[in-house]
Amino acid sequence: MSDSEAASNGGGVLDAVAARLLDASVLERIGIAVASTTLAILIGLVVAAATGYDPVRFASQLLVGAFGSERAIARTLRSTTLFVLTGVAVAIAFRAGVFNIGVQGQFVVGGFSTVVSIIWLAAFVPSGTVGGVVLLLFGTAVGVVAGGLYGALPGVMKAYGDANEIITTIMLNFIATGFVGWLVAGPFGDPEATATRTRRLPDNVELPQAVFGDPNLSIVGIVLMLGVVALVAVIMTRTRFGYDMVTSGYQDTAATYSGVDAKRMVISTMAFSGMIAGLTGALFVIMIQGYYTDPSGIGNYGFDAIAVSLLAANNPLGVLPAGLLFGGLESAGSHVQINSDVPVQLIDGIVGLVVLFVAAPELFRMIAARTGLGGDVE
Amino acid sequence: MSVTDVLTVARLRLVGITIGVLAVLGAVLSGIFDVDLSRLITRGFVTRSLEMATPITLAAVGGLYAEKSGVFNIGLEGFMIVGAFTTAGTMFALGGTSPTQGDVWVAILVAVVVSTLLTAAFAVLLIRYKADQIVAGLAVWFVGLGFAPFAAALVWGSRSSPGLTSIDRLAFGQSPLVFLTVVLVGVAWVVLFRTRYGYWVQAAGENPEALDTAGVDVDRVRYATVIFSGAMAGFGGAVLLAHAGNFVGTGSTMVDGRGWIAIVAYLFGNYNPVGAAAAALLFGALDMLNVQFQTVGIEISARLVNLLPYVAVLVVLTVYGKTRIPAVVGEPYETEE
Amino acid sequence: MTRNAPAVRLEGITKRFGDVVANDAVDFTLEQGSIHALLGENGSGKTTLMSVLYGLYDQNDGTIHVDGEERTFESPRDAMDAGIGMIHQHFQLVKPMTVLQNVILGHEPTEGGTVDEASARAEIEAICDRYGFDIDRELDTPIEELDLGAQQRVEIVKSLYRGAEVLILDEPTAVLTPQEVDGLMEVMNDLREDGRSLIFISHKLDEALEIADDITVLRDGKAMGTVPAAETTESDLARMMVGREVLFDRLERDPGTGAPVLEVEELRVVGDRGRERVEGVDLTVHEGEILGIAGVQGNGQSELIEGITGLRRPDDGVVRLGGTDIADRSRRDRIEDGIAYIPEDRQTEGLVQEYSLQRNALLGNQTIEPYAENGILNWEAIEEHAADVIEEYDVQPPNPETDADSLSGGNQQKFIVGREIGHDPDVLVASHPTRGVDIGSIEFIHERLMELRDQGVGILMVSSKLEEIQKLSDRIAVMYEGEFVDVVDPEEVTESDLGLLMAGGTLAEGSDDESGSADVDGGVSS
Repeated sequence: MSDSEAASNGGGVLDAVAARLLDASVLERIGIAVASTTLAILIGLVVAAATGYDPVRFASQLLVGAFGSERAIARTLRSTTLFVLTGVAVAIAFRAGVFNIGVQGQFVVGGFSTVVSIIWLAAFVPSGTVGGVVLLLFGTAVGVVAGGLYGALPGVMKAYGDANEIITTIMLNFIATGFVGWLVAGPFGDPEATATRTRRLPDNVELPQAVFGDPNLSIVGIVLMLGVVALVAVIMTRTRFGYDMVTSGYQDTAATYSGVDAKRMVISTMAFSGMIAGLTGALFVIMIQGYYTDPSGIGNYGFDAIAVSLLAANNPLGVLPAGLLFGGLESAGSHVQINSDVPVQLIDGIVGLVVLFVAAPELFRMIAARTGLGGDVE
Repeated sequence: MSVTDVLTVARLRLVGITIGVLAVLGAVLSGIFDVDLSRLITRGFVTRSLEMATPITLAAVGGLYAEKSGVFNIGLEGFMIVGAFTTAGTMFALGGTSPTQGDVWVAILVAVVVSTLLTAAFAVLLIRYKADQIVAGLAVWFVGLGFAPFAAALVWGSRSSPGLTSIDRLAFGQSPLVFLTVVLVGVAWVVLFRTRYGYWVQAAGENPEALDTAGVDVDRVRYATVIFSGAMAGFGGAVLLAHAGNFVGTGSTMVDGRGWIAIVAYLFGNYNPVGAAAAALLFGALDMLNVQFQTVGIEISARLVNLLPYVAVLVVLTVYGKTRIPAVVGEPYETEE
Repeated sequence: MTRNAPAVRLEGITKRFGDVVANDAVDFTLEQGSIHALLGENGSGKTTLMSVLYGLYDQNDGTIHVDGEERTFESPRDAMDAGIGMIHQHFQLVKPMTVLQNVILGHEPTEGGTVDEASARAEIEAICDRYGFDIDRELDTPIEELDLGAQQRVEIVKSLYRGAEVLILDEPTAVLTPQEVDGLMEVMNDLREDGRSLIFISHKLDEALEIADDITVLRDGKAMGTVPAAETTESDLARMMVGREVLFDRLERDPGTGAPVLEVEELRVVGDRGRERVEGVDLTVHEGEILGIAGVQGNGQSELIEGITGLRRPDDGVVRLGGTDIADRSRRDRIEDGIAYIPEDRQTEGLVQEYSLQRNALLGNQTIEPYAENGILNWEAIEEHAADVIEEYDVQPPNPETDADSLSGGNQQKFIVGREIGHDPDVLVASHPTRGVDIGSIEFIHERLMELRDQGVGILMVSSKLEEIQKLSDRIAVMYEGEFVDVVDPEEVTESDLGLLMAGGTLAEGSDDESGSADVDGGVSS
């Protein structure tokens, strides 16, 4: 295997990044993903052993915590839904060569808008199942639109203000978290709640459970996740928009040659990516939380999603197993927190290491080349 | 010696505008709420603002060196967390819950060494193995967020430390670390704009080929700046802890976004160490102003006020367009043949 | 004329890139205190030869001698230490840094740890005084605020500051205005008088004759000979450069009988660096006609093509397709309007390298039925299209699943030609349609273009290969510095005449009358 990199001088940061991320065969990608994860977990186990815990026990707790019981599986699937959806949002942008680091912010804005819009509309809609469905659909639509607009904003800034989207999306994450946090604590806070949060969604806004009897996991959520994955995969492979988008990501000069308007493409990609993030936010509040709380405490789904997408080589289908891995790790974390004396932050650290290794495929290519493993990275 | 490379006219104008806006804001607020400005701007306020700005300044100066040379180190936040924890851990190891002043200084030194070593590994991933700078940087943040509280839990049985010791203040209640930072900013400015090494850093981020054809090894320049950035961020974390006197590992840890604000600070300061320090001071003062507002009874959400830096950067990047990102940030350099 | 000792001697330099031989046993001798022009068409191997000398490439064979000693250069640093400086076509300058900082980069004098700007300043001013450079007044100006001529002078001063005795100037006049060219010539003269030795890479005959002492001509990587400038003429040099005097391959021509399909009036297009590269061009392509545009690359042909195909918005002027002005329409609109385009760079524009041929068959066709309907792609139709193109155009390997980057240049190009012609266009714009393509594919592509012409399509073709231009064109327009200098009849014109026109010269008596009869709308700019 050669590690000769096509040193394309023509491109900017994104071209170089996109080229590096994309120029690996499917087998190689899977190899790198498996190697990254394995290495990170191994390091985690070594750390556990070094600090006086039983690594075998810790490993088995990870497994049990993720898949060991019906409850664990339900918990894993719940997190997986969020990781997969946000992962798809990231994958869309990365495939088009646009670095949307702002999925977290779009997720927050989408979810909060859903809550606020449902609570607002609930006053005008009769209670009962039909009313509930109306609220649910309306709230989701508002979440999708809000996420999409919040994603389009850095797109516009890039297209017309030449502002680097990596920096603007990071800034917009902080702004979303801070501003929504302020709204939740102040104008939209529930005066009767002790915690900082909005009022609860009306009782009729609820998804059917159907699986595992977990109140925070709905079959609708799982179907939605699979549906979005399928839809995005179809859009990418079977529509003109998807072709334009992916072509822009591979080779923007060829895309321009074929009639793609680069500025518009950036904006629509960011909007599309933000819409999926907003949809995830809506699902999060409807299926899991039922209200909105301070977003600094809801988890880094949008950031982890970057790792999920990279692990999947930005392929919407590959996001499914990658999301399952992250869902499993998070679920195992909940289990470890209660049932083990190993500090649960170790798992956060392991996730960090997975991300770190995923960022450096070249490391594994060189290891593979040195050890003579050829294209197969173990 | 010209002033042009110190602060461009445009930049001066921007800083002027910012200060002007703040002054007007202050005047309006004091008018509305009928507050005497002198009650807001106290000596304690100035002292605390400077202390608040110090860790941000240190990380920002490091970060701007890396980015100037063409490597975006967005892992500053992570390295700050590592620095803060290492300082607390070392203090505790040396002197339990009542370390001496000497222990504090040793702990700071250890923190800088540890973050230097970790950044060296990070730099190898970025430069030798051409890791994706954004993702790897985010990973450093995650790793810091995970392992520091984990280690804290191991040492203290909780994600936060008990009260240790904070550094003794000098005359006027000012921390010696603030003075040290001022000196460092000055040195960083001189090195960047007045030494050959600084020229190389700038060239490496703008046109590495030109530097290469002038016979200077681009990767070596970048290794140096990236390692420096991590060391400075670690130092920033150490200073944060030395001022606070105990480690907090809950939520987003005691660093709480200061590494990100450091990036904002150097963007705002247009990659100039002095500008970055000024921006950090502005943000530190903004933070402290919140406290002052509370004490004098003005109700403005600290959270909203703290968003101003982020919004300002968006405006500067998009509308004002004067912050100039080095041309090849994010691209590994490949020599010909 | 007394012969001085050689400053640089290259013996039997051979440089291969894969299978391509860029330099084939080239000998080259630069005398001390002289200017030696290295002439040749694009791709003749001039820059490669000089890159070997400058330590950027390792030669496969041959030796380098500097001041009589054999040397090997691992890097430009070594070459610099041996007193060789190179001024690249793309300046190696750091834009936001000042002139002074750029000149001393990597060779900064220091005092007490900081850069000793005062002594650097004095040294640079001394160099400027000696050669009459004006940039000493701008030492604190950032590079990006200087025009290209001044940037070039900074590059020269940089080399001199580093102590270069031998200066290589790679196409130094390509980016300059005529006034700046005059200035450069003066500088080169001064440097020569001061005893420095200069290599002047160019494809402009007049410039070489004007400034050089000796001229070496390269063609297809081989040195065709070295002649003293005083003993040669433009037409001799032109013959050496293109290698042929004879016309060949007479093809049936039927110029300008059809209705005009593409009309361009007073077109002005600004290029990447903000300079106007197309300065008021008029042209008409008729149905069933090939209008060839000859010219040395970089004289505005690319920008003209981009202005017509919609890749660049023209700043002024009219582009009429079948009578309708399309100057304001987008690239995609123009594709749908019926302009097909074989792009200049098949690697970056014409094909997505990581895509299979099947996916590449869709490139540019995204909005065209039956490949797409209402935004939904019809992969069956696309696959069929790909298979048709592969079969009709004999693309090897004949497999639609093959990735584009695994095809040879010739097969890539045949695929693009097939795809573009398959659009059933009214106008085909072909930019260097056979560049870097093997001989078999060249013949094949030429036949297809002729067929298309015979079917009544109007073709606008740009090529830097005179042979191709002469063989295919019904009329030839010669472009120089953003304008059409002449429009000639391929039946009448010789290759050396064309070479002359391309180099900015004018034809002797007689030729102009013939071009007048070629019936081109205002194609002859005064």
